[in-house]
Amino acid sequence: MQKRDVSHIIAESLRSGSYVLEPYAKTICANYGIPVTRFKVAKNRKEAVKSADELGYPVVLKIISPDIVHKNDAGGVVLNINTPNEVRKAHREILANIKEYKPDAEIFGILVEEMVAPSTEVVVGGIRDPQFGPTLMFGLGGILVEILRDVAFRICPIARRDALEMISEVKGYQILKGYRGQPAVDINKIVEILLGTSKLILNYPEIKEIDLNPVIVYEKEAKVVDSKIILQKPGTTET
Amino acid sequence: MDLSGFFKAESVAVVGASSTPGRIGFEVLRSLSQYDYEGKVYPINPTRSEILGMKCYPSVLDVPDKIDLAVFTLRSTMIPRLMEECGRKGVKNVVIVSGGFKELGGEYAETEDEVVQVATSYGIRVIGPNCIGVFDGETRLDTFFQSRERMVRPPLGPIAFITQSGTFGVAMLEWAASVGISKFVSIGNRADVDEADLIDYLKDDPQTHVIALYVEGFRDGRKFLKVARKVVSKKPIVILKAGRTEQGSRAAMSHTGSLAGSYGISRGAFKQFGLIEALDFQELFDMTKALALQPPADGNGIAMVTNGAGPCVMAADAFVERELQLAVLERESSEKLKEIFPPPYIIDTSVDLTGSATSKDYRGAIEILAKDKHVNMIMPFFVFQDTPLDEGIVEVVIEAKKFGKPIVCGSSGGSYTAKQSQRIERGGIPVYPAPERTVAAAYALVRYGNVRKTLENKGL
Repeated sequence: MQKRDVSHIIAESLRSGSYVLEPYAKTICANYGIPVTRFKVAKNRKEAVKSADELGYPVVLKIISPDIVHKNDAGGVVLNINTPNEVRKAHREILANIKEYKPDAEIFGILVEEMVAPSTEVVVGGIRDPQFGPTLMFGLGGILVEILRDVAFRICPIARRDALEMISEVKGYQILKGYRGQPAVDINKIVEILLGTSKLILNYPEIKEIDLNPVIVYEKEAKVVDSKIILQKPGTTET
Repeated sequence: MDLSGFFKAESVAVVGASSTPGRIGFEVLRSLSQYDYEGKVYPINPTRSEILGMKCYPSVLDVPDKIDLAVFTLRSTMIPRLMEECGRKGVKNVVIVSGGFKELGGEYAETEDEVVQVATSYGIRVIGPNCIGVFDGETRLDTFFQSRERMVRPPLGPIAFITQSGTFGVAMLEWAASVGISKFVSIGNRADVDEADLIDYLKDDPQTHVIALYVEGFRDGRKFLKVARKVVSKKPIVILKAGRTEQGSRAAMSHTGSLAGSYGISRGAFKQFGLIEALDFQELFDMTKALALQPPADGNGIAMVTNGAGPCVMAADAFVERELQLAVLERESSEKLKEIFPPPYIIDTSVDLTGSATSKDYRGAIEILAKDKHVNMIMPFFVFQDTPLDEGIVEVVIEAKKFGKPIVCGSSGGSYTAKQSQRIERGGIPVYPAPERTVAAAYALVRYGNVRKTLENKGL
């Protein structure tokens, strides 16, 4: 896909709402060298099964709707699906949950994704700061970010060196370097994700916020499992 | 950016001059006209004919000569009209001391916008409003309403200080009297001239060797960082950012109308752009003083020498927080030290010359440490109260400058200690009254050394 298509996705998304639907968000990420989980979009149950077969089990099913931002709260996510029958069941379950949660929600389809193995989780964010403009955030996932606020910031654009500094600056860096026999994770992949996120938010003033959370990192790769891109009309003063 | 008109003005008008001692309009006029500033001073007030023996003019338009700088000390709502008159007179620089603008919000904020609009249309640069204005160490121009009896004006020296708080400005001016100030600016609401403009100007100011900044928020953070990156390749910037918490941010909004923003982001930005962050006001001064007097360090290895062990233990703890290292001495240095200083002298993580040490012992130890390649900085501590330590120590420490490595000292105590410390400081080596403050100063020198190296690697 070309850069032109990223502009197109953003323009289309802005027309219909204030955020980019997940499969499009992931497509945008992939365009900026940010590794994402493999996925397919299914319009119906039959397509969902076919997609799962093609991706290989286990898979994850997620609702795709411009009206549902917090998919988990709406019962719009089912993890660890191992057979075609489980796909059918999860599909039914998600649609039923959404109907109850928000009956008039527009449903674009169901996202079928590879279910990745658990590993160290990190978070990468891009925001527009009222004083400094496009800014990057990095932290380790879970309680380290949410409760201890163990995060590092840098102003975009960043150089490779800045990315390495922000990674080594968080207290949880020890975990990334490997501890108690746990192997070190692929820090270079995190650097690539930070550099890509920096470029992306600088290129598109329509992007208000990028939230890659979680990003799962392994010894030799990394994958963005969930990516949110929040938009604003160009020229709006951001808060 | 040329802002020299604020500091090198040959003539100053005080718009809103008062004849009543204690009034701002009187005190500013007094500061400008009764002391060392040699330029012309014109009081402006339509209801008076003479103040402090000077002819008073109804308007700047009535002053027969040119006016380089106008200082406003009257009610905010009167200022747009008087700014217009300055424009017609051809004044290019204005300091607005008065408050009653954006910090109050609502229509007062509109008055501020109006003032800037008028000024801009005439090409006038404005410092303030809501500030104590400017001071120049060389021309001795100052716009302060703090009397000489209450506030010392520092001598000319290497430190420039930019502050959003007049209160800290006043304190810094007095603390810095031992080192000296090149330029001082209290920016207040910075309706026009902001922190970025000022560091840009100070970058090329030959009298300024280090810039200290107190800010609550940035007017344009991106612009500031862009300029800062250029400045730090020439001289260090030490910055204290207040309004780090939500509560502090709200206070900043009502103080100078600033958006304090997320502190985490500011911190990241300072690291990224080579600024040296001070965490409190004491540190801002301590670090600035070290950078004003000493060269940056070539690495983070520090050797301590002392005649009492306690401070070294505390300093060693503080090293960890600051990511500084105790220098591991070259084998040759250790052997030499052990030769000159047999037990009970302790040559370990620091050289403890013990309570019987004389200035000669310090001289020997400092020379060995200074010549050791692993030592990037020497940190002597003194128990001046220990009688064996003779007064020759002052000369010994000052002489050690010849080795070219940075030196920061520590010594705690009463009046004799303070006197010895001052004598050493007058020789250009800073002495701090608590070990953690000595370490903070050392950190600033190491950090600036790193910043310089990084910039060189990038070819800047």
